Amino acid sequence: MKETFLEHRLAYLFILPTLLFLVLILWIPFFRGVWMSLHEWPLNGEPTWIGLENYTYLFEWDVFYTSLKATFLFAFTTLIQLVIALAAAIAIKNIGHLKDIMSSIFLIPYTMPPVVTGTVWLYLLQPQQGPVWQYLVGWGILDSPIYWSVSGDTAMAAIVGVTAWTFWPFMFLIIFASLENIPDELYESARVYGAGRIQTFLKVTLPNLKSAILVAVSIRMIWNLAKISQPLQMTSGGPGYETSILAVLLYRFAYDRNQMGIAFAVGIVLLLVVIAFILVFLREFERDSGGASA
Amino acid sequence: MKFNDARTRARLFTSANYLLVLAFAGMILLPFLYAFSVSIKPPTEFFGTPHLIPYEPTFKHWGDAFDNLREPLVNSLIIASGTAIISLFVTIPGAYAFGRVDFAGKKIGFYIIVMALLFPYVLLIIPISDLWYRLGLFNTIPGLWIAYQAFITPFAVWILRDYFEKLPLNIEEAAQVYGCTSFQAFRKVILPLSAPAVAAVGFLSFVVSWNDFLFSNMLTTGTGPRPAVVSLFITTAGGEGLHWGLTMAKTIMIGLPPTVFYLAARKYITNAFAVE
Repeated sequence: MKETFLEHRLAYLFILPTLLFLVLILWIPFFRGVWMSLHEWPLNGEPTWIGLENYTYLFEWDVFYTSLKATFLFAFTTLIQLVIALAAAIAIKNIGHLKDIMSSIFLIPYTMPPVVTGTVWLYLLQPQQGPVWQYLVGWGILDSPIYWSVSGDTAMAAIVGVTAWTFWPFMFLIIFASLENIPDELYESARVYGAGRIQTFLKVTLPNLKSAILVAVSIRMIWNLAKISQPLQMTSGGPGYETSILAVLLYRFAYDRNQMGIAFAVGIVLLLVVIAFILVFLREFERDSGGASA
Repeated sequence: MKFNDARTRARLFTSANYLLVLAFAGMILLPFLYAFSVSIKPPTEFFGTPHLIPYEPTFKHWGDAFDNLREPLVNSLIIASGTAIISLFVTIPGAYAFGRVDFAGKKIGFYIIVMALLFPYVLLIIPISDLWYRLGLFNTIPGLWIAYQAFITPFAVWILRDYFEKLPLNIEEAAQVYGCTSFQAFRKVILPLSAPAVAAVGFLSFVVSWNDFLFSNMLTTGTGPRPAVVSLFITTAGGEGLHWGLTMAKTIMIGLPPTVFYLAARKYITNAFAVE
């Protein structure tokens, strides 16, 4: 009896720093942010209480809807990441040699600072000097380079593509690790029952990857919408506000305009969008896989 | 005949997989090869016909890049090392308790920590900038050390707990038989056994901190400890009128250390990510 009490006391003592840190630097700042969003709040200045005015301002502002639309378009990068990661994980499982080195190569873009990979792509896609256009024009596929940053659609395509290229390895990491954990017996018995490759994929591989895909997509969706160095660096949210996804809008309010209150109000909307995405995804996912196993 | 047919098909299937893997590897390596190529080209070769191998390679840009980045790189090194050390002190005891001790509230406590992974961190830059300003942590190295723990803690606890949990049962009891207290069992037996996972988490925290742009750009100014990533961002935003040879030399210089650390730590990270 005495011993268990001591052990418990040690356990609580052990988790104390972890919990304390998280409360102090995550939850307290978060609630302070909510409080800030009810003020006009310049950094290093005196806040003024304005109630819900930041929120009503946002909802009556056209640019806010441009930003929402950009956020939904940008979210497609998650889907591209999933498709590449799934294909790469399955292909690499089916090769005999070079597994280790190839999967290490796959991780490289994810290990580097996003600002670094963003800079590499700024160079590759630079209209006058970028090799991408030099080749496309040289081979006669294009007449002239595309100045992608001056139009909303091409600027969006560029940041969606570069974000997908940078972050798909994270999904690969999770899916590949889980793929390796599917017991061989399941594949054996599928073979005994005469299942073809496609059937095996649909009936064995995919159902067993369900939780991995769920975790990978949820985490990635949130982080894709919250990591903004690449959009900020490649387009600065422009032209106009056309690639200012919510997180970039937040950043522009905070960093360029020093309006912390309204910046956090944008953040609250971002949080709600993220939660909505995840809930819809979970529901669809449950329904789909329920149908498949029935 | 039929047997042969199946074998041919199996061989075709394997070759197709090899091709796909090589295509993905090319998709990743080619951009870096071109980035490296321009970093060793003289400026006269930046324009015109594209070619991967420079006619007259030069390492001048690399020297210039290093002179340019010396101070920011030192800042990054100090910031990232400190972040890693603090993260280990904060998360190892917690992860150990969550992995190997039963206590009331264990499950809830763990979920509170790991659910923080699902938090869009960009929100935090606002209250943290404000608080750091008021607390005197703005534009200081300790300010960054502490701020990064917000997103490293959940990750580190997840990976370390997984490792602690998989160590053989009864190690602590055996140590106690030899007269260790619970704390000594943790410090003298469990901790040394966990060295590889601890190192992996240390590397990972280092990488997260080295790579971060969001917090470091918001929490530092030109007069403070500005890390390399921010200094690169500031010179490249917009991408107009840049000296690409110099810029790509800087870029690779900043990108290489985290890649080396991450790949070194990889084995333990991957194991923790397997979702059952």
